Amino acid sequence: MISKQELELARKTLDFAKAEGAQACRVVLNKSESNILDSLCGELDKISHCLDRSLSLSLFIDGKYASFSTNRLEEKELADFTKSCAAITRMLEQDPCRKLPERERCCEEAQSGLELELYDPEYETLDEQKRKSLALQYCLDMKQRTEGYRIISEEGEYCDSEFDSISLDSQGLFCRHRETSFEYASEVTVEGEDGTKSSSYWWTSSSRLKELAYKEIGQIALRRAVSSLGAGSIKGGKYRMVVDSNVASKLLTPLLNALNGFSLQQNNSFLMDSLGQKVFSEKMNLVDRPHIKGESGSRLFDSEGVRTKDMDIIRNGIVNTYFINTYIAEKTGFEPTVEDSTRVQLLPYPEQGLSLEEILQRCGEGILVSGFNGGNSNSATGDFSYGVEGFEFKDGKIGKPVSGMLITGNFIDLWKHLLYAGADYRPCMSKLIPSLAFEDVSFSGE
Amino acid sequence: MSSGGSWCDLYFENTSIWSLVLRDSIVSSGGYHRDYGCGIRVLNGEKTGYAYTESTDMESLSKAAKAAGSIADSCSGGNFPQKSVKIEGRPDYYPMIQDLRQTQSGDFVPLLQELDKKIRQADSRVCNVIAMLSYSLSEILMYNSLDELSEDLRPLCSLALTVVFRQGKDIQTKNCSKSLRMGAEFYNESLLEELCSQVTDGVDALFEASRPQGGVMNVVMGAGASGILLHEAMGHAFEADFNRKGQSIFADKLGKRICKAGLNIVDDATLPFYRGSTNYDDEGVPGQKTYMVSDGILTSYLHDRISAAYYGVASTGNGRRESFRYYPIPRMRSTYMENGQDGTLEDLIHMAANGIYVNEFSNGEVKIGEGDFTFYVKSGYMIENGRLTRPIKDVNIIGNGPQALADIEAVASDLKIDEGKWTCGKGQNMPVSCGIPSVLIKNLTVGGGSL
Repeated sequence: MISKQELELARKTLDFAKAEGAQACRVVLNKSESNILDSLCGELDKISHCLDRSLSLSLFIDGKYASFSTNRLEEKELADFTKSCAAITRMLEQDPCRKLPERERCCEEAQSGLELELYDPEYETLDEQKRKSLALQYCLDMKQRTEGYRIISEEGEYCDSEFDSISLDSQGLFCRHRETSFEYASEVTVEGEDGTKSSSYWWTSSSRLKELAYKEIGQIALRRAVSSLGAGSIKGGKYRMVVDSNVASKLLTPLLNALNGFSLQQNNSFLMDSLGQKVFSEKMNLVDRPHIKGESGSRLFDSEGVRTKDMDIIRNGIVNTYFINTYIAEKTGFEPTVEDSTRVQLLPYPEQGLSLEEILQRCGEGILVSGFNGGNSNSATGDFSYGVEGFEFKDGKIGKPVSGMLITGNFIDLWKHLLYAGADYRPCMSKLIPSLAFEDVSFSGE
Repeated sequence: MSSGGSWCDLYFENTSIWSLVLRDSIVSSGGYHRDYGCGIRVLNGEKTGYAYTESTDMESLSKAAKAAGSIADSCSGGNFPQKSVKIEGRPDYYPMIQDLRQTQSGDFVPLLQELDKKIRQADSRVCNVIAMLSYSLSEILMYNSLDELSEDLRPLCSLALTVVFRQGKDIQTKNCSKSLRMGAEFYNESLLEELCSQVTDGVDALFEASRPQGGVMNVVMGAGASGILLHEAMGHAFEADFNRKGQSIFADKLGKRICKAGLNIVDDATLPFYRGSTNYDDEGVPGQKTYMVSDGILTSYLHDRISAAYYGVASTGNGRRESFRYYPIPRMRSTYMENGQDGTLEDLIHMAANGIYVNEFSNGEVKIGEGDFTFYVKSGYMIENGRLTRPIKDVNIIGNGPQALADIEAVASDLKIDEGKWTCGKGQNMPVSCGIPSVLIKNLTVGGGSL
């Protein structure tokens, strides 16, 4: 997708930067194309065609650092742009910790961008008519018979895209990543006999069109919306909480943020001084597996061009890894790892793997959380409070829909109370987190 | 439009963004970003075809126009947008005294250094300061098939702080920001004083604060940032695209009473210098003040040209977009409630008797169909026997939009529009403002511990 001429412009920008006095520099050239077709109640509603290019430039001049970007990719414009960037960089303060990563840590395996097999050549065969057909063929039948509710609307969205990225630096780095993506999402709003409304969604994605299993997406969204009709809050208190794999990553993302070097270096992390410590339940095993071929989210290098690798992030509840980039390593003395997690996976507990239904059976009674509604957490203390919706369950069976409730607690405490981690993560998600069960979670409601 | 479209508009944008970051007491990173392009939209009735190009040569524009025009042969036509309301003269709600184009970002390095020094001097518990200074300038040119041409120059200046405090082994963070549509005159000594005070006031309470017992209770929301209530609980539900699709919980409430008499809720593009202000929206419609609720009655949705055509009314100038990469959709601007007549904040706290008082927030969210909204409270106080007592922090509040509106019991006369860096994320990030006088609402669910 990135042409030879565009690659040549990226190389020239490195030369411009060196000519402006940069001792080190990095250029990242991104190019993407996407086609989005939205439907409303079975009819095409919007068509969008997007074509983006951007060039990011990082300059290291006399111990000073700054980063820049532009989408004006003409040679003369890039020369002027680089000159302005160098002048801005020189006005900043020195920070000796700003450096490019050591060459030996950098990725050399990503030369064609196709190594991870995330590019589907079928993308090139799609035309306008084919896309319209893909967008409309599985929309809900708005006239289908319904009992106890009516369908107000279905919004469908089909999207295909191609992404190409090349990273170059003044030490000779050359890394390329190419991928295609095909996505389909549906949001359905229904109205019950009493006039109350309920909306829900479902989606899927794949790097290959043939693997985009989206025939049932609208029906699943409809079922989810209907099942939530009449939801309300129940009495607050401590409950066993099961979290559906569809939304479970919400409870993990703050942990990954707390393991990030920037948070740690700024004392703004509830996992300060946790490296090597048993902080969580020994049932918790979190790994990073960034090189799985054909799986969305896989990547051979991070934003600095550093080679990604398989990592144990948390093993039996013990914190095993911080995410430390070159700058933070220089600042803190930690060994550098990678800038961030790539494709994290929470391993099942027990190991044989449980389905959501089996987890509900084992838990017996509690609240199944199938969606979050707002909320946040305190990055320094790990205290959180989130709006939730879902279902009561008793004897392992799903019952009354629940909404308008809040869960409140602390992430360290929550993950110490992990009961089960299922084996039902959704491969289309960027974080592979299965359904989870926790003991003694505070719910606020009636 | 040769394929049969009923309307077309062009949106040219040239945006520059400058930034500086102070961390560990040095301004050691910064940036400059340019974004340039043109978005082309073709409407066929209410159906939209959209494409954009980052090159504005005729060949690229023609290609994008053809892609956008492909909607025309896909659907049947319908209503199409009318000419926008003319206004006298050219509005300018955000004139620059010091033009940002004449400014060097490096000139602000000493300002950040001084801010860092002030904050550290103000409280010995400060262990880290991150200050992010950013400003942008967007040059916009819009033209449409009704032969309406409009242009706008949009400055936006911001300064945001995250400060980490350590007291013994306890660590707490505070965030604050200020953001206005102004020229470089925004960055001055009084800004430093204001932000320094904001971020260092109330730190003792932050360390003392605990979570309340969760449950349903009376909530007094302080003037200013509590406007997030209006944004989440009703503002989104009033955006006409949700109503056009029948999804909003307010879809059949136009002309009906939705809260007590005397309450007026406004979405306003004309407040000088605020983040939510627009001389023209992103469809070329002049900025205006829209009463969504007048004397307790729902009087208007927030319209872009598509929804206005659907409802047979004039656009309210709410068609906004993040950049040329997006087509416009109905979005809020500066959303606030006008003053009430139920006394002062102290009166409301007394009326509440028991519950919580909240005054700092981070984020909110709403489910349009159900009307369930939440917002996250960074700090506040317990109300016990009509008085503020223990500090509280880090709780989420949940309620239902129509119910919360109906449950507003009292409104003070201390309206304040917050000047923080509020950004609404309805698919596209959009600068907005929010404000409110102090209000008392009964029966909101507050997150907290349980026995």
